[in-house]
Amino acid sequence: MPSPAALRAHVESALGERLSSTLLLREKIAPLTVSTGVAGLDALTGGLPRGALSEITGPASSGRTGVMLAALAGATRRDEACALVDASDNFDPASAAAAGVDLDRLLWVRCGESDRASPSNAQQRTALGRLEQVLKVTDLLLQGGGFGMVVLDLGDIPPGSVRRVPLTSWFRFRRAVEPTTTILLIVEREPCAKTCASLVVRLQRTAVCARDAASPSETEFHGWRVLSRTEPAIPHANAVSHAALLHGMQLRAEVVLSWMQRKPVQSVGTDFELRAGW
Amino acid sequence: MFACIFIPDFPVAAIVRAEPLLREHAVAVLDGKPPQVRVFALNDKGRLLGMEIGMTKLQASIFAAAKPERAPATKTVAKKKPAQIEFGARHTKTQPPPANAIFRQRSPVQEDSAHAALLDVAHAFTPRVEDTHPDRLLLDLGGLERLYGPATAMARQLASRVSSVGLDCNIGTAANPDAAMHAACGFSGVTVIPVGEEARRLGVLPITVLLDSFDLAHGSEAETSASVREHGKLREQMLDTLERWGVRDFRTLALLPEHALASRLGAAGTRLQQLSRGAGMRTLALCEPQMHFGEAIELESAVETLEPLSFLLNRLLDQLCARLEARALAVQKLTLRLQLEPRVADEQTTTLQELAAARDTTGSNGDLYTRTLRLPVAMRDPKIFLKLLQLDLAAHPPGAPVCKLWLAAEPAHPRSAQRGLFLPITPEAEKLEITLARINGVVGERRAGIAEVLDTYRPDAFHMERFVSQQEDRTPGGDLTLSDTSSAPPVALRIFRPARRIRVQLIKGRPCKVTALDQHADRNELQGKILWSAGPWRSSGDWWAERSAPFKTNPEEAHVWDREEWDIALAADNGGGVALYRIYYETGTGHWFADASYD
Repeated sequence: MPSPAALRAHVESALGERLSSTLLLREKIAPLTVSTGVAGLDALTGGLPRGALSEITGPASSGRTGVMLAALAGATRRDEACALVDASDNFDPASAAAAGVDLDRLLWVRCGESDRASPSNAQQRTALGRLEQVLKVTDLLLQGGGFGMVVLDLGDIPPGSVRRVPLTSWFRFRRAVEPTTTILLIVEREPCAKTCASLVVRLQRTAVCARDAASPSETEFHGWRVLSRTEPAIPHANAVSHAALLHGMQLRAEVVLSWMQRKPVQSVGTDFELRAGW
Repeated sequence: MFACIFIPDFPVAAIVRAEPLLREHAVAVLDGKPPQVRVFALNDKGRLLGMEIGMTKLQASIFAAAKPERAPATKTVAKKKPAQIEFGARHTKTQPPPANAIFRQRSPVQEDSAHAALLDVAHAFTPRVEDTHPDRLLLDLGGLERLYGPATAMARQLASRVSSVGLDCNIGTAANPDAAMHAACGFSGVTVIPVGEEARRLGVLPITVLLDSFDLAHGSEAETSASVREHGKLREQMLDTLERWGVRDFRTLALLPEHALASRLGAAGTRLQQLSRGAGMRTLALCEPQMHFGEAIELESAVETLEPLSFLLNRLLDQLCARLEARALAVQKLTLRLQLEPRVADEQTTTLQELAAARDTTGSNGDLYTRTLRLPVAMRDPKIFLKLLQLDLAAHPPGAPVCKLWLAAEPAHPRSAQRGLFLPITPEAEKLEITLARINGVVGERRAGIAEVLDTYRPDAFHMERFVSQQEDRTPGGDLTLSDTSSAPPVALRIFRPARRIRVQLIKGRPCKVTALDQHADRNELQGKILWSAGPWRSSGDWWAERSAPFKTNPEEAHVWDREEWDIALAADNGGGVALYRIYYETGTGHWFADASYD
């Protein structure tokens, strides 16, 4: 019984002339990466790969939007045109401006207008309607080209609905961005693009920093903490939120899948903090 | 050196320009009100069938379907000389006659468009242009030899440019404007008359060419119908006199004794003889180039669907862009006006309501339906314009059949900036416009663009602006490297639009439990026990406004606000974990709302 190496050498010598490229191992070229806008995440992931699909996942209030805005701020600072496909029309321009996003370079597409006209629609039907819009708009944006970053914000779409998006759609998107320098970023609750994604990061909130007169000391309950601050509650002149009570959040990021290492042997994570922009 | 551009059978040419398929047919242009509808103009194929100008429609229709059995009607075009230069595929008498003819009503609108196109071509060639008549232009070519080459090359290039705007023309060049005009009117194709050869070359032309040009050259500009009749009468008298003398061409007239001619015909006779010899110089009455670019088409039968309308738009856009290209201009704003057929009142009530609504929103006036495309950058690609108009009309259908189209362009100088090799990528302006139009078709009008934050403390105050590809040079120091990042990115809000109605239970003035009231998809996530709360933060504004609007749940529409905001950590009943929300108590109505989540 010949060894696999000998067998391969035999096949290559027989067919190598005619099929020179099929049997050669293609060396995977590391994609260009850009900063996520968060130093801790950059150290963990190596940045967002260009020409690839990346996912940022996490439950509500886990800092996904903050990381998304940081990435958009970095892209617009590089003078790149960006597009945000907002599935639930949740984007807050004031937060983005406070995060440093150049709004003049950000195309904001607000999906879900039809939902407002018919609020009695079933949850599933509504979400699918939005998703159809998101997929169509993303197709158009990627076909048009020229965007440095295209972000799909599916953060408020139920994971069950997102999972129903056929894998071929994500594959098509990945193929569309592969020959370009566009970063396709999906913000969602659970990973959905599966093998089409080059980078999947899961975020979790560990603590909340807030001004709370009622509980001046650190409070811990249900597995997370409220770190009370004692600064006077005087909002900044350009405050995003008039409440100005929340200082920030402490988060933990974990790489689920990476272009550098498809299957991490063990959980690789890092801690960082989101600070309120007010 | 002077040149004349002459469009034979101009009313027919104007219609054929809008309907190129008619080139292969005999076309008769009708004018007048019924029952006095008569043939006003014909093309060569129409003449081959035996039709003549002045026939009634009934008479012409007899010839229209019949093969000619006799010699074709007398033509003013003289036999071609070997020295003449032919241009283009002009229809000659040797071609087989067409089987039938097509009748079209005269269209002054299309004639104006064709004449404007002709003027654009002429002004693009030289600034010294005399606009003598709708079907002919005189150009002063002096000093253009270094640009375009000798007279022959200039004439060919001129003919090529006229052909690019959809018109077949005769070009004549000579040392004086009148000789050039007679050459263009009398000979088909391109005719170049060398200096000193005018009398010999023009000698073969029939005298009618001279009389037509003479009347036109000396007629007043604002001709009334009475003066036209007077000119026609004088022309007939002159022609009759000359024919009785045996004068039928230029050469014969040129050989008559000057004094005897002057004593019998007066100053007009002297002038006619001078023109027949190709002599006499005059100054051109120059006209200013117009900056109005418009094309129009009138339809025999109304168009009801978008697809045939697209073909017509394509044709108009091609013509418009060819004119703009001739003047090295682009388009900044494109206005499409459609004349709609009046609908029968009892046809469809809902459609009329929709039409009325469309008129309210899109600026339709009476039977006219207007759509305007404002382009962020100047463009000149007819395919892009067509796609944008198609998408716009698909999103805003006219609501009734279309019987007339006008397309007007606001000219602008084309983009001249050249981008650097190392600048970041940005969407191409032309592609971006189409992409945005398609996206608007998916998500709705004004749902895609740039968010501009308003200068107010009102929550969620912004308005949408048009997204434009930023293509200015990169600012130094704008690069972001992996090390140039923030250690603490910002907390962001995710706004609920509209704010969601909730019921809040209070203990000692602090919220402790939330129950959702809206039938929203996230209803289950917005009800549960409040684990932590901070607040209240009282906020109000715009209460000083003169006109206080009633309370509206949509923050984009609300003007006055007065509320107490709380930040809460909510443990959802559905087991979705703990999330942070911003809720507020509306003091005016006493209702609670959740308007954002922290993320």
